[in-house]
Amino acid sequence: MKQNPKLQTIQENMAPGAYTAHGFLGDDTRNLLDILKQDQFDINKLGTTHEEVARRMRYFTEIGITSPDVPIVVDDIYEVTVDDHRGYIPCPFADNVKEIKRNTKLTNLTLGKTIYWSDLTIHMIEKHGFYEGKGSFFRNDPDTLYMLLGL
Amino acid sequence: MEVLITVLSVTAIATLLATLIVIADKFLNNYGKCTIDINEGNKKLEVEGGQSLLSSLAANKIFIPSACGGKATCGLCKVKVIEGAGPLLPTEEPYLSDQERNDGVRLSCQVKIKKNINIQIPEEYFNIKQFSASVVSITDMTHDIKEFRFKMDDPDTIDFKAGQYMQIETKPYAKIKEKAIRAYSISSLPSDNGFIDLIVRKVPGGICTTYMHDYLKVGDQVSMTGPQGEFYRRDDSDSYVFMAGGSGLAPIKSIIMDIIEKGLDREMFFFFGAVTKSDLYYVDIFKELEKKYPKFKYIPALSKPLPEDHWEGETGLVTDVMLKYVKSGEGKHAYLCGSPGMIGACIKALTGVNFQVEKIYYDKF
Repeated sequence: MKQNPKLQTIQENMAPGAYTAHGFLGDDTRNLLDILKQDQFDINKLGTTHEEVARRMRYFTEIGITSPDVPIVVDDIYEVTVDDHRGYIPCPFADNVKEIKRNTKLTNLTLGKTIYWSDLTIHMIEKHGFYEGKGSFFRNDPDTLYMLLGL
Repeated sequence: MEVLITVLSVTAIATLLATLIVIADKFLNNYGKCTIDINEGNKKLEVEGGQSLLSSLAANKIFIPSACGGKATCGLCKVKVIEGAGPLLPTEEPYLSDQERNDGVRLSCQVKIKKNINIQIPEEYFNIKQFSASVVSITDMTHDIKEFRFKMDDPDTIDFKAGQYMQIETKPYAKIKEKAIRAYSISSLPSDNGFIDLIVRKVPGGICTTYMHDYLKVGDQVSMTGPQGEFYRRDDSDSYVFMAGGSGLAPIKSIIMDIIEKGLDREMFFFFGAVTKSDLYYVDIFKELEKKYPKFKYIPALSKPLPEDHWEGETGLVTDVMLKYVKSGEGKHAYLCGSPGMIGACIKALTGVNFQVEKIYYDKF
């Protein structure tokens, strides 16, 4: 589906080299509108919301912050490591939001699976319903998040 | 025929409109020559209007500290504008306190010069220079940290205070079309003034650290500006606590070695936090210093040593380990360098044992 010029500009902000070396779209060839629509569809199907997913991610990040760089076990079944780097990264949706360059690594010890996200990932899911393009480093499908985060 | 006439008419109108826009842009956005008055007439620059204040100053060899190169993501390039700036932009707002807004502080990368402008900057900014340097060695320190040694080519020497940083300018590479600028602390000694060492930790997805780690080679030329920063040793104490993690070791190494080289009689504790033994580096250098200078103590702390590390040193969070050795901050200075999370945790621990907040030094980027 054709997207409006505003979304087109945002998609350009997501290209490699604009805000990060690898960008936010991975090897996804769909346009931004189609990515957003598909993830919205999947979230609706799961019976949850972007806000709920973001809230759960933030819960783990905030616990991880108490132990910078050092893995910490949460609720007996999650291992969380938070590390951060100097500087900020702006949101590619050009909403004047900037986030600390902070990354969270979460391992669901029961399922034996690990996922990663950044503070910006949480913001983009919560405010824009954007989970990044397929193949992007911080991309996690709604299904994966729903399962691993115990939603 | 009718279709052809319509197409030609639409094309002609579009071309005319585009031409009018170009002409209008040339006249309406032509700000002509503007004057930048710095520090009440101390220096006056005549510049072409239309550029950012940051880039106009840089074009005149006045380098305002900036870790992002003008993308409004670091918030470092603050200057006080007395008059001549337009309204505050939404991109600046997150970086300015109420006090700074009242004082006329602006992000120089976001201020576009459209008329004469009066600004105030610290005098030390006049000492920041642009250098051309070449890479003489690249050494792996850990799995994600490398040490880069640069020879200063033009100018061929550099004067800096131990603890200060340089700004490196990357070249376009791979899919990266634009240059980027990032700040890295100097780890070498000020007396070794023909060279500088930088320690760079690779940030996942980082534009500049990816360039440094994966594309920069021995022999390459790099443009850099500096020295910059207020993270350097103050002399009104004879007892220092240093805390670092990861690449934050860089300025601390420079400061400690500078103190020792100058023969200053100071008590120094250096706490370095890491996860496993493979995250430690420069261990031999600091162990050697410890042997030679009894007042210097090097205490690496591992939060999760592996069985194969056979670690017999301190374990746990570096903040907890520090508290085992330092019972009071009375009269002491603390110098911190590391991730924002680590710095936050260290400040909390230090103020808990009565370190004065104003005697805790760290780079705010």
